[in-house]
Amino acid sequence: MKVKVFSTSSCPYCVTLKEFLKEHNIEFEDIDVSQNKAALDEMVEKSGQMGVPVIEIDGKIVIGFDKEKISQLLNLKE
Amino acid sequence: MYDLIIIGGGPAGMTAGIYASRLGLKTLLITKSFGGQIAKKAVAIDNYPGFESISGIELVQKMEKHLKAQKIDIKLGHVLNIKKKASNFLVFTKGKKEYQAKSVILASGADPRPLEVPGEKEFIGKGVSYCSVCDGPMFRNKVVAVIGGGNAGFETAIFLTKLAKKIYILEYADKIKADAINQELVANSGKAEIITKAALKEIKGKKFVESIVYEDKNKKEKILKVQGVFVEVGYEPATSYAKGLVNFNKRDEIKVEFETCQTKTPGLFAAGDLNVGAVKQIVTAAGEGAKAALAAYDYINKS
Repeated sequence: MKVKVFSTSSCPYCVTLKEFLKEHNIEFEDIDVSQNKAALDEMVEKSGQMGVPVIEIDGKIVIGFDKEKISQLLNLKE
Repeated sequence: MYDLIIIGGGPAGMTAGIYASRLGLKTLLITKSFGGQIAKKAVAIDNYPGFESISGIELVQKMEKHLKAQKIDIKLGHVLNIKKKASNFLVFTKGKKEYQAKSVILASGADPRPLEVPGEKEFIGKGVSYCSVCDGPMFRNKVVAVIGGGNAGFETAIFLTKLAKKIYILEYADKIKADAINQELVANSGKAEIITKAALKEIKGKKFVESIVYEDKNKKEKILKVQGVFVEVGYEPATSYAKGLVNFNKRDEIKVEFETCQTKTPGLFAAGDLNVGAVKQIVTAAGEGAKAALAAYDYINKS
């Protein structure tokens, strides 16, 4: 499973999202779009969004920290 | 069954959590994220005792670490409803989870107040933002508008001066309410243009925001080409899920007893920005969190 998180360093929901993934031992690529123009363009293109966080799970895009949707795509059980 | 459920992870909720767990209460804290409004603060915090100047996110991380060092259950979740069942409380969250406790502290704070103009909802995340520290870095070298000329609006503008090419600040009233120091910082950036007596009418664009329309002081419609709109017109208390169990004032803030932070329902307490109160400060929210947790402890021991 390939997981990418598009975020900025100062966004509270991004921090919560990354903590959530770490708690469930999910490995992910952490991309700071404020430092990486190409990644920002990729995120905007894929999500149609100018807001963070955006998470990509095996090609599927989830906008914001939508815990239910993310848990479902990652097959997480509470 | 818990002794106490705390709803919210801002300064009020986190403080309540620290107090309650130290008192030995079996406690669950449910929150959407940590830090509440502090986490979104665009400029440093210079008025929390013990920290001369600290960024919002750093202060949140310190509080979170302090909280998580206690014996307390924490769940990320979104509370939809609370019900009273005999002498206990049932708390329902998104995803059809149900939790039960002898007492509850409401500490879910406040959400950004929307503008309620056409285009706002459609362009959320597509140029419209309620969190400049989150989304600001995406507007490097772009032209943006900040709606609201209070301190929050000016602090947002100050944060954006490091990123955006130009910033319009639109204020509905005829005077700017932000503190002089914030006004000076904005003026010194040389990037901001302040427009007073400006009533925002619409946000327009195709895939993303392209312009805003406002009515100027002469009641004429004007258009500004902007790629970003940052909304800073205040907050509204996040209290709708507690309807029926609490009394509200006309701003939907919860009325509580001064000494205990108890609502009209015994065992149900409220702390922080969702309460009636002229000041909304980190330190007052934390103070109410402590008060509510201590009162909940008393309530549980007496019942």
